[in-house]
Amino acid sequence: MSTFELNEDQQDCLQELINVAMGQASDQLARYLDTFVYLKVPSIEPVNSEQLFETLNQDLKAAAVVSQGFFGYEGIRGEALLMYQPQDSHRLADLLGYEAGEMTFDEQIIDLSSILTTTFLNVFASQIDNQMSYSAPRLLSANNAKVSEHLNQQSFNWDLALKVKISYQVTDYSFNCDMVLLIPEEAINNIKAVIDRILEDF
Amino acid sequence: MLDELCINISNRLNTGILIVDRHYNIIMWNRFLEVHANKSDNKVIGKSIFTVFPELPKKWFERKLSSVVQLKTQSFCGWEQRHHLFELSHSRPITTDSHFMAQNCTFLPVEVEGEVERICILIEDVTDVCHYQSQLNKALQELALSNRIDGLTQAFNRKHWEECLAKEFSRARRYKHDLALLMLDLDHFKLLNDTFGHQGGDLVLIETAKKIDKLLRMGDLFGRYGGEEFAVILPNTDLEGAEEVAERIRQSIAKNTIDYNQKIISVTASIGVAIIDSNDTRYEDLISNADLALYQAKAAGRNRVCLAKEVATI
Repeated sequence: MSTFELNEDQQDCLQELINVAMGQASDQLARYLDTFVYLKVPSIEPVNSEQLFETLNQDLKAAAVVSQGFFGYEGIRGEALLMYQPQDSHRLADLLGYEAGEMTFDEQIIDLSSILTTTFLNVFASQIDNQMSYSAPRLLSANNAKVSEHLNQQSFNWDLALKVKISYQVTDYSFNCDMVLLIPEEAINNIKAVIDRILEDF
Repeated sequence: MLDELCINISNRLNTGILIVDRHYNIIMWNRFLEVHANKSDNKVIGKSIFTVFPELPKKWFERKLSSVVQLKTQSFCGWEQRHHLFELSHSRPITTDSHFMAQNCTFLPVEVEGEVERICILIEDVTDVCHYQSQLNKALQELALSNRIDGLTQAFNRKHWEECLAKEFSRARRYKHDLALLMLDLDHFKLLNDTFGHQGGDLVLIETAKKIDKLLRMGDLFGRYGGEEFAVILPNTDLEGAEEVAERIRQSIAKNTIDYNQKIISVTASIGVAIIDSNDTRYEDLISNADLALYQAKAAGRNRVCLAKEVATI
């Protein structure tokens, strides 16, 4: 077992922290968007840089991917990727409460990505007595082929990352998207230290 | 002491800081904004942000800020989506063509006892980034174009033209559409080069390509196939239609006279015409058929159009 892998207790604890954060985040989002937002139980798994493209590839039917970096105290940091399906993008402006002509498609998904990412991570951070800052969200590409190309062409300077995937569903607007949090190697140890501290307090 | 230091620093930052209350009234701004908006404090502080900056999209802006207040989380607006929110001057008025400052704006919630009472707006000048990104996009577009175009004649180059043919061929087969191909060769071009020199020859290629291009319709794909060989893809065109186009091109080239160093050069062309056939499985078959017709035209005395069908029946 790699030293970066979480043991069973750590995995359970992280799962629980995420579950609670998902509950509160979906509540906040429902109030703001004025519709029910379902978050599906996440998958947590380590990925190495060679696998990243492969594991994301299933998700990369995506029409668009938005990236946003996050960073908190105690070396907790990572990158959130929000992935959108082409068929789900028609009523976004409506969902966000903007007039149809007021925003371009790119702006809509960037705005929504930022809302989903920061709402979830703010709640998550408060559970571990942390506070997150965020970079500006960036549209990696609004075209499937280009997203694959974009990731495929990179030679990453990391080997292993922790991948947390959470699916969002807004049934009233028949809208789905996936949020993939990728936490780089050096930050995994920092997260483990935080988790261990929480486990000790029990 | 520390407050004074903070104010001092905030007034020297090259980032705009603007703080509004929940009713959109401006509580504070820093020197960066004062300078770039060119408005004095007493016309700004305590006033509504929509009065001071009437250019703001009011409904959009209110909804944006409501997300910050309700979700207690920061929000962004980047130059790639909106070039600017605030009409501000910028630091490169001379060396860029940007009228207003390109901006990245961040909306930060400022909580007082758990409630968002104020919103801090950070405004970064990214006119520079915007300018260079636009230059880069322009260069990439030009590069993509020069990758497809034959530098001398401005027709498509062989590689791109053949890619087009492959696409049109499979489309025509899939949807059972017509597709015609013209292969065109200038007659006695080597002799022409020997007589007038290569610069004369080049001029003939340039002028001939111009003539052909003028006679084509939208959707026709015109390329330089080789030295003095040109090729035209005619989508949705039957043999009769293609022959008409070929004949028009032949006559136009034959009638054309080119002035070169006080001499008049005239040139003729032989053209082979082929259409897609149910036996053709590859686009190369279509080229071969048009080529055969072209040889036929050459053999029959040049300056004429031959159809592949006639070749087949011989």
